[in-house]
Amino acid sequence: MATGILPKEAAVFFVPIVTLLLGILIGYLAQRSGYCSIGGFRDYFLFRHTRILSGYLTLIAASFVGYLLFWFLTPAAMEHFFWAFTSGPLTPVPGAPGGLDTAAYLIFSIVPGFFVGLIAVFIGGCPIRQTVMASEGNYKAAWFFIGMCVGSILFAAIVSGWVVALMRLLGFGV
Amino acid sequence: MDSRYTRDTIRNITSILIRHPAFLGATIGILAAFSQALLISAGGPEAYGFCVACHTRDMVNGMTNIIAGTSLALAAISKNSLLPVMSVAGVLIGGYISATLHREHRIKRGTRVEYLGYFLAGVAVLNLAMVFGGCPYRAALRTGYGDLTAILFIVAMAAGVVFGAYLMLKKAEKEDT
Repeated sequence: MATGILPKEAAVFFVPIVTLLLGILIGYLAQRSGYCSIGGFRDYFLFRHTRILSGYLTLIAASFVGYLLFWFLTPAAMEHFFWAFTSGPLTPVPGAPGGLDTAAYLIFSIVPGFFVGLIAVFIGGCPIRQTVMASEGNYKAAWFFIGMCVGSILFAAIVSGWVVALMRLLGFGV
Repeated sequence: MDSRYTRDTIRNITSILIRHPAFLGATIGILAAFSQALLISAGGPEAYGFCVACHTRDMVNGMTNIIAGTSLALAAISKNSLLPVMSVAGVLIGGYISATLHREHRIKRGTRVEYLGYFLAGVAVLNLAMVFGGCPYRAALRTGYGDLTAILFIVAMAAGVVFGAYLMLKKAEKEDT
């Protein structure tokens, strides 16, 4: 069990507050900069513009630098950094539905990745861009956000069970 | 004179910096690592500092669990905490504050068919993202954390974007001729 700077009793209290403040800062800067992960790749492919793409590439680099920095400062909080060395090169960080083998998680990376990119380019923005557009008064983006809210209940109640059952049926169970 | 010049220069640099996407990328990356260092005692998973899809899921399911007494699945950090992670609510508030301050808040309506399309796209994107275990942002954080499967997600996403943009380009060319 990883331990961070705050003890558990304090952390459970500060989780909503810290994430809310972090979100406000990110939302403010995202509105100013028109930040978008999908838009970066799209603009580079269509016009060879690198401005928005630089945001996403910087995010990858900065997260590595950030995790490295806090790995030095608070090693107990970064138990499994660098993941590929500590936990095997092809195991994913937990978050996806559990109980499947490595090949299933590779499929879970490639197929959803492709379709997230495809859908997002048709609606003109990744989830954060849609959320920011909704807060700017775009009704279409607001409906996208409502769809995400309904989808999260659907996923927890039905879809995750289906996906795991389907992958087990195809022989990817542990 | 000199101090005013310095102040204006600093203001210009700040303004350019705030409006550049790379600055936000660096901010999210460092702060996500910081929030993990601060809050990981509340529970996993790791590399979970910022994610639009997962944090929406945690916020909606966590609040539904609290209000309606259901037990929908959510990440441990939100399950153990007083309230679930609130960063998506923060993004909405921050975007609204910024849009109002800079007079960019404008109501844009669409047709009912468009609303339905965006709604279904929202459901689909969230479910696909949760099957992977993160939206493009968490994929980037996971890549930074050393998870090689997240690189596959980013490459596949870029391929999807290129394919979709190519389809749109073809469609636009057909409409022109």
